[in-house]
Amino acid sequence: MHDEVTQPKIVLIGNPNVGKSVLFNVLTGSYTTVSNYPGTSVEVSRGRCRIADRTYEVLDTPGMYSLMPITEEERVARKILLDDRPHILLHVVDARNIERMLPMTLQLIEAGQPLILVVNILDEAERLGMKFDLPQLQKNLGIPVVGTVMKRRQGLDDLQRIISSYQGPPPPAEPYAADLEADIVRLAGFLTAEYPLGARATAILLMQRDQEVEELVQREEGDGFPLIAPVLHSIKFSRRADLNLQISLERKRHTRKMLDGALSQEVADQLPFSERLSRLAMNPITGVPLLLLVLYFGLYQFVGNFGAGILVDFLEGTLFEEYINPAAISFLNGLTDTYWLRELLAGEYGLWTLGVRYAIALILPIVGTFFLVFSILEDTGYFPRLAMLVDRVFKQIGLSGRAVIPMVLGFGCDTMATMVTRTLETKRERVIATILLALAIPCSAQLGVILGLLSVVPGSLMVWLLVMIGVFLLIGFLSAKVLPGDNPVFYMEIPPMRLPQLRNVLVKTLTRMQSYFLEILPLFLVASVILWAGKMSGLLDVVVEGMTPVVTALGLPPQASAAFIFGFFRRDFGAAGLYDLQTAGLLSPTQLTVAAVTLTLFVPCIAQLLMMKKERGLKTALAIFFFVSLLAFSTGWALNKFLLTTGILS
Amino acid sequence: MICGFCSKEIPDEVGLNSCGGCGSRCRKIHCPYCGYANPAPGKLLGRLLQPKKKKEES
Repeated sequence: MHDEVTQPKIVLIGNPNVGKSVLFNVLTGSYTTVSNYPGTSVEVSRGRCRIADRTYEVLDTPGMYSLMPITEEERVARKILLDDRPHILLHVVDARNIERMLPMTLQLIEAGQPLILVVNILDEAERLGMKFDLPQLQKNLGIPVVGTVMKRRQGLDDLQRIISSYQGPPPPAEPYAADLEADIVRLAGFLTAEYPLGARATAILLMQRDQEVEELVQREEGDGFPLIAPVLHSIKFSRRADLNLQISLERKRHTRKMLDGALSQEVADQLPFSERLSRLAMNPITGVPLLLLVLYFGLYQFVGNFGAGILVDFLEGTLFEEYINPAAISFLNGLTDTYWLRELLAGEYGLWTLGVRYAIALILPIVGTFFLVFSILEDTGYFPRLAMLVDRVFKQIGLSGRAVIPMVLGFGCDTMATMVTRTLETKRERVIATILLALAIPCSAQLGVILGLLSVVPGSLMVWLLVMIGVFLLIGFLSAKVLPGDNPVFYMEIPPMRLPQLRNVLVKTLTRMQSYFLEILPLFLVASVILWAGKMSGLLDVVVEGMTPVVTALGLPPQASAAFIFGFFRRDFGAAGLYDLQTAGLLSPTQLTVAAVTLTLFVPCIAQLLMMKKERGLKTALAIFFFVSLLAFSTGWALNKFLLTTGILS
Repeated sequence: MICGFCSKEIPDEVGLNSCGGCGSRCRKIHCPYCGYANPAPGKLLGRLLQPKKKKEES
């Protein structure tokens, strides 16, 4: 036991999947133990190694992305740094992604940690055309740097030599921009206790609102904290909008400086295809046409024409209509002579006719094709680039690129996307995103049905698209003007672009289809029962009659009321109702376009309404509900008048 | 699991516990770093997703 206490510690730290565990195993051999970090379920590996006649205790920490923890793993990794006071800290980075990982090295230097940088996976980086001058990097950083290919034990001797001759903590960190540096120095000057991460790094974490560090400072400073609190509050307030962005940009600037002369890459025209595509996707001049191509081939051709057209025609028109429905309806009708029960099972709004048929024959092929495209795009890493691309436009409507996450997810399901709006930074941004999701983002099934229906009418899809984009931008712009608050700042690390992996895409698509189907089938069945009960009691006729003046004011046939009522249960249910109207030949091109626009803008479904109430409160949810309803019908009415007057779709 | 948006690794412990927020039975894992909703495969699909990793671990 005494031996353990006196042994110097080597702690391994770094992002996940950079080869830390391989290095740990290489250093320690088989003498290791794995145990949960006290009070957590996070596993930490410990072992021993002997280097130049000295025994070290070696700890392999969970992966972390920065000194500011978000997950429990990162919290444990930082706690090890704070509590275990390593003799040597090995920061392991993946050479291929060194530019993304070096900011943490700079943070560790800032924190005065006894640091050695291990640039691992050098072989694959060199294969990608990256050429490292590690002595230059060592000179730039002021800490020992060793290049390794740990799976082949390449660089192990050098690493052991550097460990055995390690001289001490790194030099002082480089200053940030003058104004930021002044705040850091001012705050650090108030910190009188001795902090494991040093006064400078502690001050920066305080400014970044790190709760744990603030509690630590309160404890350590005791009676002195009331002197620090107003200074801290004033810095936090004056830098509330962009502190994290500024720190991130400063670290990126330092990273580039550190890599200057230490890393050379092949010239731009020899960059890997993925890197060139990545740049094209984020550049507005090339990114917008690329986005249009993705929408055209991914959504219009594949989801709209193939999923909602060919697949639905086959499933609904051939398989169900000709083979399954006659047998199923005959079987269900044979079960009973009771009229109401027959209606419930296989009548106009029956469980089979409406619930099962809509879910399997109409919605499933559409969401299946949508989720396939979605998973492919997701697996390539396109979405973060889309976020960067639309950030400038989104800023005009009070949102930031971060809002791409709920918006993109909204095309899958608006209810879940409404919940994800909680990740947006400001209340204003959350409210605007909630309004836009309720209004102008159709869910995948609704989108698929609408694309499928409108693509057969020349010009109709273009009118629908222009109205949707116009309403999205106009309402977003007006909301941003009306709602007070700061403009959000968005930044994110862009992960590498990659070829989609077939297994990933298939598993993600099937998982999404499975959960979607299990979610909608019971809801469709319940909606069928409610509609059936409404029909049997006559209540449905009353509601349809009540809606008829509104629907006819839009120039639609009275039967369209049912689609709107369906739409309140589920957006996709309403879209399926529209499909039935169209296939029954009840809608002219103008009526079809007006119905599609109104139904897309129409009130959020019950589930989304409940989620809005949960996330934004009852008052805001009801306000959005009534606003969206009014706007949907007003837009439908105006569009009908416009199309009839101009005769565009006649 | 790697987040489909930010590509950061979502710790196993985050699992499905972080979800259930919308009251539906969707199986999703919300990334703690960016909030993106990742699909959480069931047992069978999950096994298909990570067979190599398991072999390496054993």
